[in-house]
Amino acid sequence: MAHGAPASEIDLQPLRTILEDRYNPENYQDSLELIVQACQEAQHLYGYVPKAATEAIAEHLGVSTNRIFGLLTFYADFLTDEPGEHTMLLCHGTACYVGGSQKLVDHLDLRYDVTSGKTTRDGTLTVQIVNGCLGVCDLAPVAQLDHHDYCGHLTVESFEGLMDTLRSESKAATVEDSDETD
Amino acid sequence: MRLTNQEAFEKYASEAQERWTSKFGGDRWVINVGISECSKAKGALDTWSNLQLHLDNSGLDYELHQVGCAGWCFAEPFIEVFAPDSPGIVFQNVVTDLVPELVQAFKTGDFPVEHAMGVRGDESFKGIAPLNEHPFLKGQHRLLFKRAGEIDPDSIEEYIANGGYAGFVKALLQMTPEEIVHEVKESNVRGRGGAGFPAGIKWESGRRTQAWPKYVVANSHEGEPNVFKDRRLIESDPHLVLEGLMIACVALETPHGYNYIGGEHVLALARFQHAVDQAYELGLLGDNVLGTGKSFHMRVRSGGGAYICGEGSALMYAIMGERGQPRTKPPRSVEEGVWRRPTVLNNTETYAAVPSIINNGGSWYASIGTEQSKGTKLVTIQGPVARIGVAEVDMGYSLRSLIEDIYGGAKEGYTLKGIQMGGVSAGPLRMDQLDVGIDFESLEEVGAMLGSGGFVAFDESICAVDFARYLTQFNRYESCAKCTPCRLGNKALLEIVDKVRNGQSPNEVAALIEATSENIIDLSLCGLGQVAPMPLLGMMKAFPDEFEAHFRDGTCPQGQCPVSQPKLRLEPVAAD
Repeated sequence: MAHGAPASEIDLQPLRTILEDRYNPENYQDSLELIVQACQEAQHLYGYVPKAATEAIAEHLGVSTNRIFGLLTFYADFLTDEPGEHTMLLCHGTACYVGGSQKLVDHLDLRYDVTSGKTTRDGTLTVQIVNGCLGVCDLAPVAQLDHHDYCGHLTVESFEGLMDTLRSESKAATVEDSDETD
Repeated sequence: MRLTNQEAFEKYASEAQERWTSKFGGDRWVINVGISECSKAKGALDTWSNLQLHLDNSGLDYELHQVGCAGWCFAEPFIEVFAPDSPGIVFQNVVTDLVPELVQAFKTGDFPVEHAMGVRGDESFKGIAPLNEHPFLKGQHRLLFKRAGEIDPDSIEEYIANGGYAGFVKALLQMTPEEIVHEVKESNVRGRGGAGFPAGIKWESGRRTQAWPKYVVANSHEGEPNVFKDRRLIESDPHLVLEGLMIACVALETPHGYNYIGGEHVLALARFQHAVDQAYELGLLGDNVLGTGKSFHMRVRSGGGAYICGEGSALMYAIMGERGQPRTKPPRSVEEGVWRRPTVLNNTETYAAVPSIINNGGSWYASIGTEQSKGTKLVTIQGPVARIGVAEVDMGYSLRSLIEDIYGGAKEGYTLKGIQMGGVSAGPLRMDQLDVGIDFESLEEVGAMLGSGGFVAFDESICAVDFARYLTQFNRYESCAKCTPCRLGNKALLEIVDKVRNGQSPNEVAALIEATSENIIDLSLCGLGQVAPMPLLGMMKAFPDEFEAHFRDGTCPQGQCPVSQPKLRLEPVAAD
């Protein structure tokens, strides 16, 4: 899964292929039913739903982009801004709250000025705070990194450790053009 | 392969049964690994590949199979081992590092007791006690979770081999739609999403409405922050839910079924979609099903992470590609639902109960449970308890026994303070209030709520005010903002609680909270707003002393609220 592809480098071809393969509405009613899922495909491909993708979806399904944006801004799962290098789903369900996830939410806000859907200033991490439940309460408080790795029993310290790892990874990747890391 | 009539189905079923029984006989080792979202999070896929590696090297003749989750989250990842001529033995917490040791032991015919959870059947085996006597399973009555953890959720054949789709075939070929509705009415199965409305009556009014087409919808949204029963059910036995939905389609004489699954339940979505594809392949869905000339179609729709979409009318708007905001009622959904057509909407768990009702009769189902709440209930518990997981108990089962026996009471080092009931829609019960049955009426009497069966245990370190703030904040965030009392009322409520937490309670704060809550409850449009202040009011009722300490003295006895925190310092991210 690609994350954070810049708007200029969005390749719409994979999305168009998926839409043509699996999203073939018989009528307008079907088109409307398929919008949310089509947007999920786009988010899966690009890490967020870029404007170009909404236009492609609108064109394919024969609906207006306004309607699509109406849905994207209502449903919490969708990101409409380009995310950072990594995406974290931080579970803030009741079990995680009892386990101390509120401390993490506050920490993110105070130290990184990050609320749900926002990215740290250095572009390392986008956090989505999941108000529902990730369903892995045995590991509470838990977060899911880049949609497959789970980090369980999180504390502020272990979260900072994770951030350090992520930052050093990204530094290693961009060591050659170090001018860009301010 | 497409089954075209009843004989073909029965032939397929008996062949499937034969293959199922022969799977475990013989000289082969059969090893099942539970793969679900929670076991994956705990490394089940690593266990799987490491097992493969070590079994290959061990020279044992083996087969590795995927099964679903059996509800015992605390024991994940688990494997079940069928050695030649031995009953199945379940091993718990088989992390990848444990695999070499286990495989080595298996080679010498040894089954390490310390890692075993239990053995299938009623008798002990080589010092391993029967699984049914494990404290987690002893008090349970598993109807819906019967096959969970034993069959491959991606295999329709294994489902049919274990009695699957018999209810659908019976309903389709041997019963009239009226008879089906009659059985469901007689079973008195009530809505498992929390409202507790009898499903049979809903189906009957759905039949009575004369407008076409009609729709049958399952609500698998499950957006509450403390419930994961439907998700586990679909991950472990998707065909059971599908069969229930298909029977409802037969009863309503409609070809259109929907399952709306929350977008965050990735694995459940994939497995349900796979189940639907398999049913199409086998000819149980599609046109001219089993030669009856009737059509049945099933669509899977996924949500986008809005709690409100679990509300009936909001869910239907979500399916229709609109913002999921509820509308005023009437008209009720059985009159005007999806695409403004009659729609029968039930919870996933309600549908999952239907196949066994059709197979065994409504009166059999009605013999389980209490006077007014029938059948079994899936419950989940979270928080610091010894065993976390999904349990299935008879309605009316003692809450204390559930917490202390099945879930093993408090985790080591914790003292429980109370249990938050009914998700985010009701107040908590203190530990001295737990002698109550788990059913709709008993819990309502004590001011709690069954809801969808999600309970959260919290310990002494949790401040009641802070917890109430969390629950209020959840409802405020998830308010769809359509009606003013909910949109602004919950915000006002949150601001009051925040002042309390900061040690700046306004005068007469308790009365202010009550008055604000009353307005929200009376004036809100939908169920979310009407119950949004309940957790706060419930907390105030259950722990008055703690609230009083905040109100009067401006202190937090638990030291959790901002008032007792050292002054927070801002540390910006270090630039490098």
